[in-house]
Amino acid sequence: MSTLASGGFWAFVFVVAGIYTIFALGLQLQFGFAGLLNFGQVAFMAIGAYTMAILVAKEGWSMWLAAPLSVGAAALGGLLLGLPTLRLRADYFAIVTIAFSEILRYVATNDDALTGGAQGTINLRGTGVAAQYDAQWQRFQAHVQSFLGLHSRDAAMLVLVWGVAVVLLSLTWIAIRTPWGRTLRAIREDEDVAASLGKNVFAYKLQVLAVGAAFAGIAGLFYAWEFSFFSPDDFEPLVTFFAWMIVLLGGLGRVWSVPVGAILFGVIFAGTRFFNFVPFSYFGSADRAYLRLMVIGLIIILTVVLRPQGILGKRQEMVLE
Amino acid sequence: MPAILEFAEVVRAFGGLRAVDGATFEVAPGSITALIGPNGAGKTTVFNCATGTLRPDSGRVVFEGKRLDRKPPHRIAREGLVRTFQTARPLTRLSVRENVMLGAKDQPGERLTGWLWRPQAARGREALVRRRADELLELVRLDALAGAYAGTLSGGQRKLLDLARALMVEPKLMLLDEPMAGVSPPLRLELLNHITTLRADGVTFLIVEHDLDFVMQVADVVVVMNEGRVIAQGSPEEVRRNEHVVDAYLGKRHEAVAS
Repeated sequence: MSTLASGGFWAFVFVVAGIYTIFALGLQLQFGFAGLLNFGQVAFMAIGAYTMAILVAKEGWSMWLAAPLSVGAAALGGLLLGLPTLRLRADYFAIVTIAFSEILRYVATNDDALTGGAQGTINLRGTGVAAQYDAQWQRFQAHVQSFLGLHSRDAAMLVLVWGVAVVLLSLTWIAIRTPWGRTLRAIREDEDVAASLGKNVFAYKLQVLAVGAAFAGIAGLFYAWEFSFFSPDDFEPLVTFFAWMIVLLGGLGRVWSVPVGAILFGVIFAGTRFFNFVPFSYFGSADRAYLRLMVIGLIIILTVVLRPQGILGKRQEMVLE
Repeated sequence: MPAILEFAEVVRAFGGLRAVDGATFEVAPGSITALIGPNGAGKTTVFNCATGTLRPDSGRVVFEGKRLDRKPPHRIAREGLVRTFQTARPLTRLSVRENVMLGAKDQPGERLTGWLWRPQAARGREALVRRRADELLELVRLDALAGAYAGTLSGGQRKLLDLARALMVEPKLMLLDEPMAGVSPPLRLELLNHITTLRADGVTFLIVEHDLDFVMQVADVVVVMNEGRVIAQGSPEEVRRNEHVVDAYLGKRHEAVAS
């Protein structure tokens, strides 16, 4: 159990939690505040990560140009997905979003020339050359580390991820309290009523889908930088459901519930590695990796049954009709 | 005086059923016009063609000289033609006050770029919106509940909230879908008073209603539909005496009561 006491391990858990905070915040904005049933959030994370990696490793762009452009690409992905589909009923929209994320993953797996294919970003410049996209980021991270006098790279990453997360959380918190946010919440409650009061429901949904997608794109950038390598397998639909777990666990329709849910998720996700006692020790270590998914599924079910409002949600909001 | 709202040969079919089959009638400005008819007469379909919920297959709906029948619901509301729903539909997890404030027009803070780049303008407008919302809540006597979740209101209070919220849009014409459905006698009187007061202030009403006592009491003009067409229109007295109407609607009802 010595890993549990190591700073590196906990730094990793909290970096993952920070990335998932940004990622799930996009979903909270879309579903928790505007009622959009998005099951394809991971697609926008993939767009953010891949656009940056391709522009830097293949095209030789500066990271400082590629990164904002990648976030823009994720937002544009949200607009393109929303334009033909947002007029669908909620349940049909949900199906389309999951299909969209799977289509993107299959394209990334098979279009070797564009994405490096199934072998991932190492293959971005063709076989035989180990492609790298994060040299500039590593230097930046080292600068931040020495500037802040931190003892490790991990600590610098922690500061950067959570710095961005707190800015986005604060912006969202403010946004929800503006008349714009009020209109979103009205659309969540009853979009026919919002339309009958002169609100352009379609335009609001489109905006919120694009903004949430941009958040996922930012999460994708940090994901790419944290792991220095990724492949299409990193963007399975499961990742979207991790975000759903975070949002449900923390509480729907709340901003600061997202980091709470994300930290809990990070602990559960990393903590299930230590299930090496009875009865879990009856399983081989490979099988045990899947236990974490079962545990996460169980937590979602228990949350919905026992505490539908999540940790920070308001019970009263769950029973209003 | 020219009509404020005009339906001209409106046709709307669902599959083989022509729910509205060439309906033509007018709503005079400042009037309370009631739309009645037996179940399945096409009243609700006509209503939905005016609110933008449905598009007519042919014919025109004209409001203040402008065609409405190709516009989406939110544009129609912004033109000043505001609807309510048959069952009150509060936005349950918003406060009562927020429900009303939502109806405000010209709030720059409602745009994503508006609150980001012109927060001052948004805040300034918001203060006015809030004041107006509180006035309207006082009017319908919900001011004491302004901060409560709208979902905690009783059925009657929900009806009044719907009315206040619609008034926030500054309607020129209000479309009421069965305002008296499931309403208690005291509330009925209250709603009736609001409608007549608002009319005196210049608001026009088009009301779809099953409650004939209410219609005869409040309406200036009654339009009667049957099988997708307008079969009669006129003052409540004229309509009451019209034998087509008696045949199609009132007659059956009277027989049913007599037997």
